[in-house]
Amino acid sequence: MADDRKRVLVVDDASLVRLYYRKALEDAGFDVAEALNGLEALEILVAGPVDLLIVDINMPRMDGVTFLKTLRRKELPLASIPALVTSTEGAAQDFAAARAAGANFYLTKPVSQAKLIEFSSLLCGRPR
Amino acid sequence: MVFNEGKRYFVDRRVIDRMSATGSATFASYFARLRGDLQNEVEQFINAFTINETYFYREDQQLRCLTSDLLDERVRSKKRGQPIRIWSAPCSTGEEPFSIAIWILENWRQADAHDIEIVGSDIDTKVLEAAREGIFGKRALMRLTPVLIEKYFVAIDPERWRIVQSLRESILLTSVNLVEASQTRAHGKFDVIFCRNVLIYFDDASRRMAAENLYENLEPGGYICLGHTESMSRISPLFEVCRFADAIVYRKPLSDGHG
Repeated sequence: MADDRKRVLVVDDASLVRLYYRKALEDAGFDVAEALNGLEALEILVAGPVDLLIVDINMPRMDGVTFLKTLRRKELPLASIPALVTSTEGAAQDFAAARAAGANFYLTKPVSQAKLIEFSSLLCGRPR
Repeated sequence: MVFNEGKRYFVDRRVIDRMSATGSATFASYFARLRGDLQNEVEQFINAFTINETYFYREDQQLRCLTSDLLDERVRSKKRGQPIRIWSAPCSTGEEPFSIAIWILENWRQADAHDIEIVGSDIDTKVLEAAREGIFGKRALMRLTPVLIEKYFVAIDPERWRIVQSLRESILLTSVNLVEASQTRAHGKFDVIFCRNVLIYFDDASRRMAAENLYENLEPGGYICLGHTESMSRISPLFEVCRFADAIVYRKPLSDGHG
């Protein structure tokens, strides 16, 4: 059973946002890891891939777009991990930039916990 | 319960309250009543000391006001990416700042759309140590539902729970003396300050000084929440009183026209 649990890496610099997502994801049966920025996320992924990334855009040290670009140039399976971007940036060019960097889906914050779970489940191939 | 010298005023205040409640003219006559446990005075006396122990979700109408009005109001004047800063001072053993965090996570629809910084400060470094430990007993959790306890705490034995690590790490805990401007200023500006049930224990001069310091710690248009029996209007003319559906709070005027 435990092997069925999907592992999600939440990449966001705001601690309460990470906690907010963590609680929603754990309630829905996901395992959650956290990173404060893109650099830290890359470091965590060196230890092993996850089933889904939830990625903020504006972060210090390495933003979400740079992180996704870097990740998509890595070898498989890292390069193919699905990524859900959640950001307060809501303009068309922000969506385009994230898509071009390798985001699979883009949600503008605030994202309700229900919506987060809906899209997380879809993106890790676990439709509900 | 241990009360050190720093709690003298706290103790005095409660003994005087009990003396007046029982119509005792002198301490000697009150003490005789207490020793004889007349009309359950021992229990009343103990209650007078414990009733002010803090607990999670205390005065939750102010927390409701925070998420239904104050934060939305503050967000409107923010540039994207600017954090929202909330100060719990004094924070005692952490119940208040942790309550604020849990309340926001549970009740504010924009919880993930802003970087929220919560700072808890107290003059007493021992209570800050306890807050950092984040271990609470049944009494502190009495207002939380089992679902919330399950979600944000880890049981360490049948009587005690520890707040989850990520929540402990989300709150910055610092020491501060509210009447020392150099210390309060170092904390920067806040959008909302919770300063509940402490100014009543200050004398008039320190109360005014603390109010002026807190004023300086607020962003223009920022809010301060006092205990429900306290009134800022009696302490300082600097603030505007604001009535919201759930609570009365005070605001630093937008135009910074000192008084």
